[in-house]
Amino acid sequence: MVLNWTPEVIVDFIVAISGFVLTIITYIKPKTKKITTLIYIRLAILGFSIFLFIDGLSLLYVSKVLSIISGFTLIPLTLSLVIGITYILKENFYSLGFVIVIGLSILFIYIGFQPNAVDIQIQGGYIRLPWTGLFNDIGIILIAISEAYMLYWGIKTLKNAPFLIKKEAYLFFLGIFFASVVAMVFYILYLIDPYYILMSNFALLIGLLIVTLSAIIEPKLLYILPFTVYRIVVKDREGYPLFDHDWSKSEISENIFTGFINAIQLMSEEIMNMGGLLDINLKDGILILHESENISVGLITSKSSKLLRYSVANFTLDFENKFEKILKEGNKDMREYESAHELIEKYFSNFPSRIISHKRKPLLLTEKILKLPLTLDTALKTIFKDEKEYDFIKSEIYRTPESTAAGFISLYNELKKEFDDIDNEYEKN
Amino acid sequence: MSNLNLTLSLTLNHPSVQSVIEIAKEVIDNNNVLDTELLYNLTKRRLKLPRKGLLSIIQFLINKKVLVEGSKYTRDEVLENKYRFNLYRFLTFNLGVHFSTIKKQIVTDSSGNLGSSGQLIWHLEMLIKFNYIKKIKIKNYTVFLPYEIDDEIGLIHFVLRDEIYLKIIQLLISNETLKKSEVHKLVNEKREIIYYRLNNLIEFTIIELSGDNNTLIINSQKKDDIISIIKMYPQNKSQINKLTYNNE
Repeated sequence: MVLNWTPEVIVDFIVAISGFVLTIITYIKPKTKKITTLIYIRLAILGFSIFLFIDGLSLLYVSKVLSIISGFTLIPLTLSLVIGITYILKENFYSLGFVIVIGLSILFIYIGFQPNAVDIQIQGGYIRLPWTGLFNDIGIILIAISEAYMLYWGIKTLKNAPFLIKKEAYLFFLGIFFASVVAMVFYILYLIDPYYILMSNFALLIGLLIVTLSAIIEPKLLYILPFTVYRIVVKDREGYPLFDHDWSKSEISENIFTGFINAIQLMSEEIMNMGGLLDINLKDGILILHESENISVGLITSKSSKLLRYSVANFTLDFENKFEKILKEGNKDMREYESAHELIEKYFSNFPSRIISHKRKPLLLTEKILKLPLTLDTALKTIFKDEKEYDFIKSEIYRTPESTAAGFISLYNELKKEFDDIDNEYEKN
Repeated sequence: MSNLNLTLSLTLNHPSVQSVIEIAKEVIDNNNVLDTELLYNLTKRRLKLPRKGLLSIIQFLINKKVLVEGSKYTRDEVLENKYRFNLYRFLTFNLGVHFSTIKKQIVTDSSGNLGSSGQLIWHLEMLIKFNYIKKIKIKNYTVFLPYEIDDEIGLIHFVLRDEIYLKIIQLLISNETLKKSEVHKLVNEKREIIYYRLNNLIEFTIIELSGDNNTLIINSQKKDDIISIIKMYPQNKSQINKLTYNNE
């Protein structure tokens, strides 16, 4: 049998292989595997690769059956993408897009079994198997829905990407743009001139390669969810802080946060009976609390989610196990618990840090790190015996014009003398 | 440096972290505005660290609150400190108060504690630096006034806070003229106390001696100001109310 090797077949196979690689990367790279969203998006990428692979095979063997089967693979592809992206937004499968795809899919399968769904033609000097009639129309609509959802995903990712991975997010979006917009434009042109199918596939290939590359560089891109995780705090049973980690600045005040954790600790037995997990709706976010034998873990986030509750519960369990010995000893030294960062990486690596809100946001070093000139430092230490007060003034000095500290010392001496003089005067009187 | 598995191994003592802190210090010491971009660019150029590792260090320093968001104070931000805001408000509502009075009145926390003099003077200096207040020297006293208040008006306020000065001036307003030698009888105070104050009032050009050098009259140019300021105060009572301020 003579194989029908055409440029389209080769491009189909290359794009399919890239898709398989991306599928594997999205499985291997992330530390947390059981993320529903990612499972569906991975399925969509796999479906897309299978679609192109079977499409390539159908051309290679000039098989109408394979061409129809490749068409059918559009159904799981589109469905997975729609479900995955809907899930990103609301942790739910159902959406208008889902209903439309299901309806179209039933029709698509029915038409696929009708005669003449696929034709064999010579186009541009090569044998091709174009879909025809309604089978072709619905196929195009399903592809268009996939492309639209993909573009939406790209935009959402770019928009929600924090500063630290913004550069990679742009790269990722460029890939998505090629694979969706550019590929779709060429696909529409293909309806006029079959030559453009090659361009469309090339655009897909380039897009997919860029997406794969950016996902390799920064796997967090695949997990950019439309909610923000602010902070996690671990406290012991007496309320002493053992560990904390910030992802982002929260509007929830430290007092409210600590207050809630302390309050929960008081009613811990009831909470334990409820399974140890509690969501508290605050004005500016959600506090997910988890109570275990030795610790209370509080996580502040912009909205609650199954994934977060799962992560908090497992983090708590691992924290208990990892530090069991020192927890039982009642060790309260936060330095001893610093290695809990590993657990943050394990359970929360998907949530990108937004702690640097903007690259031009001014920064200051905290007073503990900064060193003042020796004379000034000695003078300040003489004036401020209280360490807290001294640290406060030090932090202020770094935020004031250069001469403020000198001005302060001179005013201090002047007023001190005045105060003494007035005291003496009163005594005399 | 090349193999920076930073998320797991970063500590404040990590040499790369220390180098980044040193560069940040240098920027601040040179009075430049430090931001992530500048710190990143400088560090990248000097330490040749990989992008991701470097960003992780900066993120780590922010997470550990070694680097905090903030900049040099602007005029508006100066009053964001509650102690300073209340101090400024106190000086605005109690014109002409001098340092020792402020020190006795300003309470730094809800328990009624008086803060240290150092802290109070620091905040006064900050308010001066950012042109919220100014200081004027009146005899031995340093008086703090809102920046926009005229020195002369500040002086009158300062004087009228003293009950003896106030009595003398009220007598002069109601009688137009007074014999210098009789004032102490009218006020019912020792002669030397009254003479000291009269001399001060003359020095402040609030009152004047008429031709015979024994008759006192109020400076006509300041009379209206003095009368309106007296009207502002509760009758013959101490004008300062102790306010409870939270030091935050």
